[in-house]
Amino acid sequence: MTGFLGFILTQCLNALSQAAILFFIACGLTLIFGIMRIVNFAHGVIFMLGAYVGYTIIAVTGSFVLSLIVAPIVVGAVGMAFERTLLRRLYGRRDGGAYLMVTFGLAVVLSEAIRLVWGPQPLGSGIPDFLRGIVLVLGQPFPLYRVFLIGLGIAAALAVWQFLERTRAGLLIRAVSQNAEMVHALGTDVDLVRTGVFGLGCAMAALGGVLAAPLVTAFLGMGTTTVIDAFVIVIIGGMGSFLGSIVGSLLVAVVQVFGAYYFQDLALALMYALMLAILVARPGGLLGKEE
Amino acid sequence: MRFALTVLLVAGAGALVPLVAPAYALTILIEALIFGLFAMSLDLMVGYGKLYSFGHAAAYGLGAYGCALLLTRLQLPLPAGIALAVLATLLIALPIAWICTRSTGVSFSMLTLAFAQLGYAMLFRFKEITGGSDGIDGIPRPAGPFGITWFQGKLGYFYLVWACLLGSYVLCRAIVRSPFGAVLAGIRENEAKTRALGYNTRGYKMATVVLAYGVGGLAGALYAPFAGFASPELFFWLVSGRVLIMVIVGGAGTLVGPILGGAVFLMLEHELSRVTDVWPLIFGSAFIFFVIFAPEGILGLIVRRRATAGQGTVDGAA
Repeated sequence: MTGFLGFILTQCLNALSQAAILFFIACGLTLIFGIMRIVNFAHGVIFMLGAYVGYTIIAVTGSFVLSLIVAPIVVGAVGMAFERTLLRRLYGRRDGGAYLMVTFGLAVVLSEAIRLVWGPQPLGSGIPDFLRGIVLVLGQPFPLYRVFLIGLGIAAALAVWQFLERTRAGLLIRAVSQNAEMVHALGTDVDLVRTGVFGLGCAMAALGGVLAAPLVTAFLGMGTTTVIDAFVIVIIGGMGSFLGSIVGSLLVAVVQVFGAYYFQDLALALMYALMLAILVARPGGLLGKEE
Repeated sequence: MRFALTVLLVAGAGALVPLVAPAYALTILIEALIFGLFAMSLDLMVGYGKLYSFGHAAAYGLGAYGCALLLTRLQLPLPAGIALAVLATLLIALPIAWICTRSTGVSFSMLTLAFAQLGYAMLFRFKEITGGSDGIDGIPRPAGPFGITWFQGKLGYFYLVWACLLGSYVLCRAIVRSPFGAVLAGIRENEAKTRALGYNTRGYKMATVVLAYGVGGLAGALYAPFAGFASPELFFWLVSGRVLIMVIVGGAGTLVGPILGGAVFLMLEHELSRVTDVWPLIFGSAFIFFVIFAPEGILGLIVRRRATAGQGTVDGAA
């Protein structure tokens, strides 16, 4: 393949692997919003917590695969505990501001707790041995780990989609996001669905954190920038829309990867400009309904 | 009349503070007052219009950078620099307000956030003007017209900030108590009904956003020459989150509450961060506590106590 096309291909693959990590965060965020109308400001810190918990699991057991399984479970449990003890108390309130603020408070507390437990220095366990190396994609050399990310991202997107469409739990989630009162009246424990979705969203963000850690190491502050990226994605795609979170992740990843190459100084601004343009044209996002 | 007297008394008492406070405390005090002013400006939106801005750092940053540029590049007198920075903030706030008020609720919060982050990103785009990640430092306090220099010293600057805070408070209080404020309260309680009564609710909301940006810009414009530098962090969303916390903890919809909340918070943070490094942990937990158990804030809690106590004597029941 010639130089330019090869370059474009490499950048596209980079964008895809970036989109995979972004999707893990944004998907949870949008599911939580869809069902609870909560903008979870703590989602970035949850993502960060996933990276740190994953680091510890790798440090103790030496198994990357195990960290991919255990870290989301641990962080998902933290999320469910938070939903049960604190968020639940706000369900009667009519203004969405309270959720923004409680989750912001959680973000502050959690990131401080992480600093106390793991210390201020960045922690990296590196790319696991079996995912190191280079593979050829259409004749272009490309890191195996990023191919792994792309594969896992696609698999997760398909799995969540099938889960939402084909299972009874998925049906309930979609029903609650449309009309929680009606579902409640039909005899379903809506609070249980909410706890479950909050936990699932947190677990997915944690998985994203474990996956991102080998690329960027786990560091304090990785949550603050990531959560904004995830917000942009969810807003672009439409808050509460699962498909929107996929489309948004791809768009933002493309803008980030190509923007960083072609307009270095403008890359950051480009993302927000894209979001504003979409919001002005469609206030509810690309695939969302206007509230 | 009673209000005028109270303001005069508070103004007088405040003016005496620097005479008894130690010099290092004055620095923190000035910063606290500036932050109180910033928090009050957000209260206009949050407390009176239920417009939860998550990007109020934009107002602060615009005022600070505007003032920093006017003072370093054009060597304008300090009062002119501050005034023009506020004017610039107001002008930039117009299109922002126009776009943000298209949406309500969470979308409004996200749009304001987007604008603040866009501002943050722009600082890196226009490095040659804004200094990029280094920001602007060495901001002077050039002498005013007619050779006025009293605000160049720390004591004088305290009085400048004190006057700005009191002036803004009196102005904002008059606005929220005017017919304009009554319509705004109507929008907060029931926007559809207010619109049905024939009010252009979006226009009112726009005006509120612009006004809040203007006052927030004043706080930023006061901060930059005092600190001597302006850094991109001023635009960052954590600043927006912090100031929103202060408004809520102080008591949204009271103006005085957020001023106290902002000022006390900053001083507490300064004192506690010297003693313990888990300060954010304490403050984050306290914040969660306030939102869940005392959403009307410290001042609101006091006011409610008093109101229910008064009611008790009239009705004979709680």
